[in-house]
Amino acid sequence: MTADAVASAPLRASDLLALLARYSLGALFIYMGLSKALHSVEFLKLVRQYDVLHHPFGLNLVASALPWFEVFCGLLLVLGIAVRGTAVMLVTMLVPFTVLVLLRALDIYKAGGQPFCSIKFDCGCGAGEVLICRKLAENLLLAGLSVGLVFWRRNRLCLRYGLV
Amino acid sequence: MRNARTVVLEALLVAFAGAVFALACNALSPRGLHLSRNYFPGGNRPAVSATNLISKPAGALPNQVLEATLRRLEQQGLQSIQSNDVVELFRDARHEQGLVVFLDARDDQHYQAGHIPGAWQFNHYRPEQFLPTILPVCLNAQKIVIYCNGGTCDDSEFAAIMLRDAGIPRENLFVYAAGITEWMTNGLPVETGARRSGQLLKSGP
Repeated sequence: MTADAVASAPLRASDLLALLARYSLGALFIYMGLSKALHSVEFLKLVRQYDVLHHPFGLNLVASALPWFEVFCGLLLVLGIAVRGTAVMLVTMLVPFTVLVLLRALDIYKAGGQPFCSIKFDCGCGAGEVLICRKLAENLLLAGLSVGLVFWRRNRLCLRYGLV
Repeated sequence: MRNARTVVLEALLVAFAGAVFALACNALSPRGLHLSRNYFPGGNRPAVSATNLISKPAGALPNQVLEATLRRLEQQGLQSIQSNDVVELFRDARHEQGLVVFLDARDDQHYQAGHIPGAWQFNHYRPEQFLPTILPVCLNAQKIVIYCNGGTCDDSEFAAIMLRDAGIPRENLFVYAAGITEWMTNGLPVETGARRSGQLLKSGP
């Protein structure tokens, strides 16, 4: 079925689910991105805490560009432009970031001896301090929704579903 | 297969356009970062392991953290100063004459919420905003005490390095590593709002 045919077909539950996924992911990424972009120095310090990037340029590049990149992806999803390509980018960001959060949580777990799920820290996600188990579950859900958007091919209320 | 290629190509287009958008927004934003600036002079690795500050409640930072900070200051060739000496300098007549200067290395929000009375704000992440005011003050001073929140906060250290690199003699610079947290815990006066606002709080443990 072509994208045009999908758009003109009657509204189904899967269309609604795809719409909901697009809008919720888009709104969340816009919010999270803006909250980091408006507190760029704090975000820079949090990126440094991961101890992955050690060159000033690398640190600055990630801390300055990543928040606005998230806003960009969020806008594309809300407007319905290049939905599948954007969803692939979200997965590309979410998976390594989730691994980094998990590794840092494991470090804390080994050092502190407290129950894993009671570990709480500001992961630089834009929402302040979060409980690690909740954060991991959230990220898995977001990654799952993004993967869904890649495969679902639902173009309701999209300005331009595919660019290529 | 063709479908997968299309999606990957689209993702690459999104990545490229997003990178351009992100860099442009950062360049235009008044809160943007300078890509070439070293915001952490003296080391881009976190000075204190994240595990240390997370596993302890706020305000109850372990002595090991303070000791690690003091060792690091020594490695950087910076002098540290302890609470009693800070209080002595605060009460010194030279403080009123501008010969003893206190610098608060935190951001606006924290500074406005409470700083050592008479302290100048010096957020080293925004040097273009603060250095023109701070440099003449520091050049005129005999002793400069720099502090931030204390504990794992290393902004006072970076501010001191920046001032040293800007030409302030290192023997005049003192980092108060325990910071405003200890100052407040000791029940010493705290000024809110702008410098010399006259709004004093009596802090307590």
